[in-house]
Amino acid sequence: MGEATVPLLELRGISKNFPGVKALDDVSFAVYPGEVHMLIGENGAGKSSLMKVLCGAYTADAGQFFSNGEPVAIRSPADARKFGIAVIFQELSLVPYLNIAQNIFLGREFRARISTRIDLPGFIDHARMHREARKILDLLGLELSTRTLVHELGVAQQQMVEIAKALSQHARILVMDEPTAALSERETERLFAMIRQLQAEGVAIIYISHRMAEVFAMGDRVTVLRDGRKVGSRLPGEATPDELVRMMVGRSVDMTYARRFGNCDGEVILDVKDLHSENGVHGVSLNVRRGEIVGLSGLVGAGRTEVARAIFGADKVTAGEIRLFGQPHQGSPDQAVKAGIALIPENRKAEGLALIRTVCDNLVLPGMRKVFPSRIYKAARARKIARDLIERLRISTPSPFRAVQVLSGGNQQKVVIGKWLSSESRFFIVDEPTRGIDVGAKAEIFALIDQLVQQGAGVLMISSELSEIVHVCDRAYVMRDGRIAGHLAREELSEENILKLGMHHE
Amino acid sequence: MNRPPATLAGVLARVPGVAWILGLLVIGFSFFSRDFLSGPNIHNIGLQSVILLILALPQTMIIMTEGVDIAAGAVLTLASVVLAWVLVHGGSLPLALAASLATGMMFGLANGMLVALLKMPPFVVTLGTLGVAQGLALIVTDGQSIVVSSDALQAIYNGEIAGLPLPLAIGVAVYAVSHGLLYHTRFGTYVFALGGNPEALKLAGIRADAYLIAVYVLGGLMAGLAALILTARMSSGHPTSAIGMEFDAIAAVVVGGTSFERGKGWLFGTLLGVVAVGVLRNGLNLLTIPSSAQVACIGLLVIVAMLVDGLKGRR
Amino acid sequence: MNFALSRPGRFIGALTADLRTVGYRLAAALLICVILTVASDAFLTANNLLNVLRQASLLFLLASGLTLVIVTAGLDLSVGANIGLSACIAASVMKLTGSALLGAASGVGVGLCIGVANGLLVALMRMPPFIATYGMLWVVHGITFWYMAGTTIYGFPAGFRALGSGYFLGVPIPVYLMFVFLTLGAFFAQRTTYGQEIYAIGANRESARLSGVPIARRLILVYMVSGAMAGLASLVFLARMNSAEGDIGEAFTLPAIAAVLIGGTSLFGGVGTVSGTLVGALILTLVLNGMNLLTLDASWQPLVTGIIVILAVYLDTLTRKRAEARN
Repeated sequence: MGEATVPLLELRGISKNFPGVKALDDVSFAVYPGEVHMLIGENGAGKSSLMKVLCGAYTADAGQFFSNGEPVAIRSPADARKFGIAVIFQELSLVPYLNIAQNIFLGREFRARISTRIDLPGFIDHARMHREARKILDLLGLELSTRTLVHELGVAQQQMVEIAKALSQHARILVMDEPTAALSERETERLFAMIRQLQAEGVAIIYISHRMAEVFAMGDRVTVLRDGRKVGSRLPGEATPDELVRMMVGRSVDMTYARRFGNCDGEVILDVKDLHSENGVHGVSLNVRRGEIVGLSGLVGAGRTEVARAIFGADKVTAGEIRLFGQPHQGSPDQAVKAGIALIPENRKAEGLALIRTVCDNLVLPGMRKVFPSRIYKAARARKIARDLIERLRISTPSPFRAVQVLSGGNQQKVVIGKWLSSESRFFIVDEPTRGIDVGAKAEIFALIDQLVQQGAGVLMISSELSEIVHVCDRAYVMRDGRIAGHLAREELSEENILKLGMHHE
Repeated sequence: MNRPPATLAGVLARVPGVAWILGLLVIGFSFFSRDFLSGPNIHNIGLQSVILLILALPQTMIIMTEGVDIAAGAVLTLASVVLAWVLVHGGSLPLALAASLATGMMFGLANGMLVALLKMPPFVVTLGTLGVAQGLALIVTDGQSIVVSSDALQAIYNGEIAGLPLPLAIGVAVYAVSHGLLYHTRFGTYVFALGGNPEALKLAGIRADAYLIAVYVLGGLMAGLAALILTARMSSGHPTSAIGMEFDAIAAVVVGGTSFERGKGWLFGTLLGVVAVGVLRNGLNLLTIPSSAQVACIGLLVIVAMLVDGLKGRR
Repeated sequence: MNFALSRPGRFIGALTADLRTVGYRLAAALLICVILTVASDAFLTANNLLNVLRQASLLFLLASGLTLVIVTAGLDLSVGANIGLSACIAASVMKLTGSALLGAASGVGVGLCIGVANGLLVALMRMPPFIATYGMLWVVHGITFWYMAGTTIYGFPAGFRALGSGYFLGVPIPVYLMFVFLTLGAFFAQRTTYGQEIYAIGANRESARLSGVPIARRLILVYMVSGAMAGLASLVFLARMNSAEGDIGEAFTLPAIAAVLIGGTSLFGGVGTVSGTLVGALILTLVLNGMNLLTLDASWQPLVTGIIVILAVYLDTLTRKRAEARN
């Protein structure tokens, strides 16, 4: 991509400090028109701080920005918009009870007019707003009505609306933070097609990703961050994934976890027949044996998390049968826990942890009633259990009595998984175990899950990363529209087969 | 727009709670009391409900922003006292109305600023301003009523416009204005956002704080307006006339389907809720049930409404 | 990975953090005592100090249950009205049956029922606590007024009156009650699984739910406790006043909330101790006592209490927002 032309945006020596930590340390790089510039790095490398600085939410402490060669200051979201920078965060900024059009044009509503010359300040021209929104949605190939309230949309669709919002602001530089994290393969393809279209129009994309495949498929250049510093930039054609990982991590790490597969003919731990729930499960049957990791795959919106929640009791079951260890089971989460089921939820900060409580408190909570049947809580015993778990799982924390919010993503996830180990759970539902976790920690998480099944538990693993399913699971179910579309045994398990089942064209 | 579909099935599906309850109340009371469905009684219900409506409409918006205003009743009382005071001391009706509106606005501003700028929980803030407003009302009146004899005031209460009693017309106007504000202006859009995702507003570069303050100011302003009708009806300003009315208003909002989370609200539902509360109070009055017990019944009404909604699967 | 992100917050370890926050507040209480000793001769008399202790005990009894409710990020605005109805019913029953025991049991029973009702509204009907208990406040108040119909009940058995006005070894009986319930409360909060689960609910309700904590049962439990403690407090109050009217208890809600907040419990949930509430009750009572001694009119008290609550909430909000921003 035109190295000789003026960069659309250039950063020189950008630094950002917080008390006690350098979030960004002298970062410099340039983005050219029409290029997809991949930004990769482990958690804590500075990617999100960089995004916040780019969109004006943070102000850089040092360094300069150049827009089209001219020095500029970015000190507020308005500044960022002025220079054509639009950021799409992972935490979506949509208003649930407003419709799509209103969300796209939030803050930039069209003024109603009484006649061609008189307009009413404050009043909104709904017709025009919906027309313009329709245009953008058509561009993205989204068939939703612009009058749909956002809270009725699934996560993937909400993300599309976010992208539509950014596009409507005539952004010249789009910053995307793991945009495909919640998207299916088909939606990812649509996104990539859209990105290519934008490239053709000269729009630059700064793309933050944890997925090597994407980096090499879509990237024109890759910049690696580590500990707030830029380690280097490469052209994808001139680098290998291992090299990039080494740059991110500082050491060579296996990207794919090598699991030893054995024969799984243990007893059936979980047997689900024709399960229906009020939240989008329309007749699911599956089973999980002792000692196996069974994958639950499918496009986003296919209903995987909903199945997990239904089995665990977090959503209401309307029909069907669940048998656990041969016994019929139903009920709320606390009954599920009593029966020996564990849930590692999709969203660990919101659903898996109490951030202000200590590591010890979090680790001990699910098992509390089994460890202290008399209901008398002995702090010393709890401390011991916590210390054992921290050691066993190699959770990196300064002390068991720090609030769990200071831990990194990977270590937080270890707490989320580890907290079930004191409650004698025999069946684990794991929903996106490695989301938002860097490469080094991913392998540790898989090792942990493997340990669990080796000790006789059963695991139902939901993942949107096909390679994870293929490399880690003994077999997998593929879901589509709230039902099971098919089952793949070990020999049949491949990314292609999963896709075929998940997509099914009539 | 965010109104539910306008078909009959759509309306019925969206608000079974309020509609069914209202229907049941009307049927029940007309069974128990012969006077219930009489012309004068319906006229009575309408007039009494107008004040509540004017309080409940801005309360709907405040609750949509995940806030609440429990000072509304006390501010209304104080504004009514102020209005009466100005009239008794020779002021004209427009001047008195201006004073009443100003009183309401001041308290609305105080509430809004404490909630938006100091980020304090709204119920604590309005609990505080409730005390201040109540205290002031007692001080200004020395505990006594301020009796007003003003022809202009009486004209407001007894007058008619296009065949509609003037107070009702004011109520209709306030509803129309509220509807326009909430569904057709940027202000209204931002009310949804303040409850649903205030971060989105900030990222869009909107001064969310200013709009949040505006919502509370609107509440205070409406209290000042309602004082006009209240004072006219009672021909006096009394220091405890509307204490506790915010409870009825909040009940009406909740019964009408507005939720306390995430910016979900429905103005027409509040209207139905206000009518339901008005019908309930009126019916209980006809059955000579004392006011203190009526409050218990309203509480029950809210619980029933939430139960019905829960059964219908809405949350 | 970089863990030097934050200095140890208030959550370092259950015990040491507790000691630290309670310690600061005890120091503040002592400071107020010193100031009052200097400001007024009447402060350091045995009579006055015992009075302060007695009033603080009553406030603490009421606020102790409230603490647990606030720890779950909830609120109970009905405690004042609760005292009213419980006291009136207890008085009625005592007058009717002549038995102090029956009266006491019914008082606590009524408080408990109100608590259960609150718990059901919050846990099962998912009403926001401040609305549910605010509504309950009005409903209970209405019932009390209706029931009492303007009359006053007075004259209770001496044995019962000792509960509020009696002494043992020179110390007012309520103070003993205070220590008993301090121990019970602290034990419940820190040394039972129920307490741990209550803190977990306050810290992150959904996460607690998905960790197997029975949310509805625990919420109903805390509101029950708050209601029962209000019932108990109403007995002590009744014993002291020796009379019951329709409007008693109203004035207690704000001071109870103040005591809990001064004691370090956060309205946002997950943080707070019963011992903190005790010190909070002490501090508030000292401040109000000081105002009395300096012959400030009694009608200033609600205003001062209100300002203290607002300040405490402001501090709480600041601390929480700062902690969140750091995350």
